[in-house]
Amino acid sequence: MSAPLSLGIDIGGTFTDLVIHDPRDGRAIIWKESTTPDDPARGALEGTRRVLAKAGVKSEQVGRVVHATTLFTNALIERKGAKTGLLTTAGFADVLEIARERKYELYDLFIEMPKPLVPRPWRREARERLAPDGSVEIALDVEAALAEVGELVEQGVESLAICFLHSYANPVHERAIAAAVAERFQNLSISLSSDIAPEIREYQRASTTVANAYIRPLAEIYLERLEKALSMSGIPGGLFLMLSNGGLTHVSEAKRAPVQLLESGPAAGALAGAWFGRNAGLERVLAFDMGGTTAKLALVDDGEPLVAYGFEAAREKRFLRGSGLPIMIATVELIEIGAGGGSIARKSDLGTLQVGPESSGAQPGPACYGRGGMEATVTDADLALGYLNADFFLGGAMKIDRAATEAALGGLATALGVGHDRAGFGVHDVVNENMAGAARVAIAERGRIPAEYALLATGGAGPVHAWNVARKLGVTRVVCPPGAGAGSTIGMLMAPARVDRVASFSAPLAGADFGQAEAIFAAQEKESLDVLRPTGADASGRVVRRLADMRYIGQGSEVTVAMPSPLTEAGVRTAFEAAYKALFARTPPGAAIQFVALRLSVSAPMPGAGGKIELPRHPRAQALKGTRAVFFADAGKMLPTNVYDRYALEAGVIVQGPAVFEEDESTFVVGPGATARLLPDGSILAEVV
Amino acid sequence: MAHTFDAIELELLWRRLISLVDEAAAAMVRTSFSTLVRESYDFSCVVTDASGQSLVQASESIPSFIGTLPETVKHFLRFFPPDQLQPGDVLITNDIWLGTGHLPDITLAKPIFRGGKLIAFSATTAHAPDIGGKIRSPEPREVFEEGLQIPPMKMIAAGKTDETLVAIIRKNVRTPDQTMGDLYAQIVALDLMEDRLLILMENYALPDLTDLAREIQGRCETAMRAAIRELPDGTYHSELKTDGIMETPITLRLKLTIKGDEIAMDFAGTDAQVDRAINCALCYTTAMAMYGVKVCTSPNLPNNEGSFRPISLSAPPGCIVNPQFPAPGGSRMLIGHYVPMLVFGCLGQIVPERVMAACGSPMWGMNQSGVRDDGKGGGKPYANMFFYNGGMGGNTQRDGVTCLSWPSNVSSTSIEISEHIAPLRFHHKKLRPDSGGSGRHRGGLGQEILIESRSDTPIAVSFLAERTIFPAFGIEGGNDGAPGELHINGRKTDPKKQYVLNKGDTVSLGTPGGGGHGDPKMRPEPELAADIAAGYVTDRAAYCG
Repeated sequence: MSAPLSLGIDIGGTFTDLVIHDPRDGRAIIWKESTTPDDPARGALEGTRRVLAKAGVKSEQVGRVVHATTLFTNALIERKGAKTGLLTTAGFADVLEIARERKYELYDLFIEMPKPLVPRPWRREARERLAPDGSVEIALDVEAALAEVGELVEQGVESLAICFLHSYANPVHERAIAAAVAERFQNLSISLSSDIAPEIREYQRASTTVANAYIRPLAEIYLERLEKALSMSGIPGGLFLMLSNGGLTHVSEAKRAPVQLLESGPAAGALAGAWFGRNAGLERVLAFDMGGTTAKLALVDDGEPLVAYGFEAAREKRFLRGSGLPIMIATVELIEIGAGGGSIARKSDLGTLQVGPESSGAQPGPACYGRGGMEATVTDADLALGYLNADFFLGGAMKIDRAATEAALGGLATALGVGHDRAGFGVHDVVNENMAGAARVAIAERGRIPAEYALLATGGAGPVHAWNVARKLGVTRVVCPPGAGAGSTIGMLMAPARVDRVASFSAPLAGADFGQAEAIFAAQEKESLDVLRPTGADASGRVVRRLADMRYIGQGSEVTVAMPSPLTEAGVRTAFEAAYKALFARTPPGAAIQFVALRLSVSAPMPGAGGKIELPRHPRAQALKGTRAVFFADAGKMLPTNVYDRYALEAGVIVQGPAVFEEDESTFVVGPGATARLLPDGSILAEVV
Repeated sequence: MAHTFDAIELELLWRRLISLVDEAAAAMVRTSFSTLVRESYDFSCVVTDASGQSLVQASESIPSFIGTLPETVKHFLRFFPPDQLQPGDVLITNDIWLGTGHLPDITLAKPIFRGGKLIAFSATTAHAPDIGGKIRSPEPREVFEEGLQIPPMKMIAAGKTDETLVAIIRKNVRTPDQTMGDLYAQIVALDLMEDRLLILMENYALPDLTDLAREIQGRCETAMRAAIRELPDGTYHSELKTDGIMETPITLRLKLTIKGDEIAMDFAGTDAQVDRAINCALCYTTAMAMYGVKVCTSPNLPNNEGSFRPISLSAPPGCIVNPQFPAPGGSRMLIGHYVPMLVFGCLGQIVPERVMAACGSPMWGMNQSGVRDDGKGGGKPYANMFFYNGGMGGNTQRDGVTCLSWPSNVSSTSIEISEHIAPLRFHHKKLRPDSGGSGRHRGGLGQEILIESRSDTPIAVSFLAERTIFPAFGIEGGNDGAPGELHINGRKTDPKKQYVLNKGDTVSLGTPGGGGHGDPKMRPEPELAADIAAGYVTDRAAYCG
């Protein structure tokens, strides 16, 4: 192959992570470039130049580029998308603004709800009506609707969302008006709810469709520009985009429905967790990524990250459910917690120690950065406890102000009325409890128990905290993969191509028309393969998942169940009851079951997606870097602890805890009683024996 | 020797308690049949100490249950003293005076033992899909018409389910599978709280919860007392009128006294109870009054017994906020949702910056029931309740939010779902222009919903609808919001009665707008212009006039 290399680019808020990877021998080189928010493509291209230079390879050798970005999420948060209009069924233009009518905060009289992405003057109505079964009750008045759209275009609207009542059951009117609009207004971008999120519940469907319309012109320009620039820089390979569902797609699908890309970065992170978990032979993994301001948790069962079919974007209050815009798109399920290295520790109003969600951010940062931060943060506590190395912070790139840390922790200890040492470990312990609590709820929501999982730690702070979080959860195995700081990017390199489709199928299980259901699945599979084919994925190796959203008649939320093949009433019933029991421990007596929607996902391996990762190794003789005092709660004191350079340790080496494993971006800490083993892929697996 | 907890240990234990009730709440949301539980979180989970004093409550609990649920546990203890409780018991009641003020809310509680000693209760209240009786409306004259009453009893005794009770419940409700299914969902939550609590106590070697409860409740009590102490001492009065029944308004009166670090509330002078189901049992009145005080004094304080200890409340027996048996109370929110506003009327005199203008609440709703014709002279009965909300009042910082549930937190039902489960067709659901009271900060807008029956069989409908006579008032110079409106076939209609819809009949509900805050002339021109451009306001002169 003339261009065997893969390039991963993950544009985050602060850094753009790049990895160049040779799937033939697994050789990988990582580079971190500062993100250029005014024009993210610029930083990506500069980073590309640098990572190629660092790896000593030429752009002609890059056979594909995989990409994740927070650009579109940021456009929603900052309300910097296109001028967007909305066309609805007559009588329902205000549904987008009336929303769910529910508060996300009960005790705040001054509450603010998220503003709709389309202001009222740009929400227009069409005369048409479908019945719940999709049959036409009032024919579409095309001319009147075109006149409404014409006014919007005159007012500068660039992108139009169309969301008619019951269109999930029959797209006929949405498609008819879209065709007429496309013909008359050729520069207008159009997004149909029956195409983007064909699911019942008009507000959520409209919200998703509008979000797509809002970011679509931006996505079209950005992706075209990036594709062109990569090609100009001499890279012959195609550009692939990471989707929120944990799979890749090609540029034209991303341009059609960019709302699928909102969670691309975090999805890649979960995928990396899944991949390293599989390498380590672990079935169930709790991927735990802890950075500067937040921690993210993702559950991986049977080697695959769990996917949910809805999430919230652009929350008014980042950690408050219900404060964002609902987006009904297949998305790797992530729990975000306000817990990171920069989380600030304070005495709460009730006199207890509170850690986060407020963060010191990049400026001033933790007290130890010496940039004027006066309050103690998690990083300060980690430093005082010996988990972090003051002389090797960010690989020695940052000078640490120990005195500032001591002063901040001292102030906190005085405020709390506890000893200095107690305050330091208290901060570490409380932030761990916050994360463990979120993990417990997330795991319980699926009817599972934490002990079945292994913790896989990434991010700057994840490996520092993982061992103690695991102990709180009763988890006995902790994995720290190589390149833990660039995990997301590595995940993208391993990602398959993936397509998710959903169709409404409202029918009681008893007497359901399985012929119709099979026909829907067949159509979904064909459509998915049509999308998949241009990615160059190996369709012969595809995995097809046939799922159904089902519930007991009368319930309002659904359980997504894997469908047997062929479909039979008894087979589906067994599958549903088993899934229901797994979640809720029992099934209600005597209740009837119904279908709500059918889902199909196809994933297929990408050529060039590697089987292993080999980061540059350090000389074996330098493995033991030295010894330092590190605090462990079991011992109740600082213990002299060996410090290793993880890239100098060879596969198969066994290290007894307590131990510290350092790399530039992070530090993996394991306690007394741990047995840590170097795995062939460079991961460290620590177990309580 | 009492155990003491330092600032760190206490935070760790507290976090664990919060996570265990939230875990139970998550399990309930996913297993429940009731739309109100699943989509509106019309339920709560709580852990109390052995005496029924609450320690921790699920984060998303609605305000009413935060006040009522621990009280119900204390009532259980009166009926079943500790020596009559054993492991594996589950207690049940929906008594409106001991519970939440109306029958659909069923409370279950489970005593938790450690080392053979009663150390705690896990408890839940949830709104059942149906409880039998007349469909929910203000019409019933006595509680007997409102459905099945379950006195405090053991649904499960030492692990053995009372099948007689189950059979009686099943026979008396329209949706036996769903109502029972929800009770089992509540039991899952009770078991989960018990399990997690015992693990936590094992981890931290706590023999019982006495010391921890004292610490947690004590800190919240101290914080609440400190917040009250900041308020000037004095006695403050407020009064407001509700639409009432049969065009006879009902007057609510409150005297609120602040003395040192305590607040006493007295509803003397409030009108008498009525023979319609809008009576608001004292448990619900108390919960709503506490909520009103809390949002103005210490909105971020965790909910437990301690937060409410410095606040006392009294209401003369027989008045509409303390009705006596057998007064009906199915629609008690039609009085109860006014109570926080009454509290604001008092506290607004001393901390005007912390209150808002009146909201377009109580919440609105339309209840329908009927029988789906099976073509054989029979059919399957059904009942649905759809909710809609008015606008919130303006406040010192910003405009009131448009169409938002307050003080409750019940979301509106999706139109597409509504049309799937009921033989109805919706013609519109739109904002009501000019319904927000004008002011420096405008009231939130109400909405208008037009619904048509498509049913071949008659549909009985009744409503929750208030502020059709007395609008949500403005404060600090702001104007009133638009009153609510109910029309059947275009004719203005008394919302407190039950009606029958035949095919083609229409119902129009117009929820009230919120009151404005501050002088409308002070509204900056760009904000007014934006309102006019959006059509929230159509008449500039009327807005400022």
